[in-house]
Amino acid sequence: TVRPKNEVEQKQLCAFGEYVAEIMPKYIQQVQVTCFNELELLIHPDGIIPVLTFLRDHTNAQFKSLADLTAVDVPSRQYRFEIVYNLLSLRFNSRIRVKTYTDELTPVDSAVSVHKAANWYEREVWDMYGVFFANHPDLRRILTDYGFEGHPFRKDFPLSGYVEV
Amino acid sequence: QTTGLVGLAVAENPHERLRILYTKILSVLQNIPKDAAYRKYTEQIVNERFDLVKKETDVQKLQDKLNSGQIEEVIVQAENELSLARKMIQWKPWEPLVEEPPSDQWRWPI
Repeated sequence: TVRPKNEVEQKQLCAFGEYVAEIMPKYIQQVQVTCFNELELLIHPDGIIPVLTFLRDHTNAQFKSLADLTAVDVPSRQYRFEIVYNLLSLRFNSRIRVKTYTDELTPVDSAVSVHKAANWYEREVWDMYGVFFANHPDLRRILTDYGFEGHPFRKDFPLSGYVEV
Repeated sequence: QTTGLVGLAVAENPHERLRILYTKILSVLQNIPKDAAYRKYTEQIVNERFDLVKKETDVQKLQDKLNSGQIEEVIVQAENELSLARKMIQWKPWEPLVEEPPSDQWRWPI
């Protein structure tokens, strides 16, 4: 069986995506809606804080809750890491995904000033991928061992690591 | 007399507070270019809410008409919108795109 398509919700998400893209053309590079009715905004890395503050504060888009902050490693690209923010709006009961890109050496603005919840998530992304967050209050390792070298979730890090257990 | 929400005190004279906030937002919006979409849409929202606040003097009925939770939440939302408008003046998001992504950046599957 196939999940029935919810045309109404898809149209609403498309309309909202166009609304946000019209308001912030400086940072939004692309907007897409997946077939499962998930709205994604693809952002230039300079626009993380503006876009996240807009989505948190604007009356039509009260995405007050940061549900998740992760990264995706695609080694074949020039900017190999894709940072993904998942936001939830409690007033309108809807979710949105915001994606940015960076390479190994370029720092990214920290989202802690916008959402306090981003603190440990950004520590995890730093620890696992090596993405540096500027203006983070306390960026240190959170999941790996104390003297651990390397960033485990990168695609070029071997599955069983470099040190024999 | 309680909002029912933790941390939000009951607002005495919400009409006055909302009136002040909405006039402040509108005056801040005058500082951004007239053709910016943000200014258009925010002015529309603020004017709608402002008209409802001016016409309706009963707090309960105003809450129902605005359909956006408690009056205190509406006040908080207006304060957020004001701070957002001030930050927007510095960020200027209505300008054209800062930098195009590399052509394979957003292609999925790779």
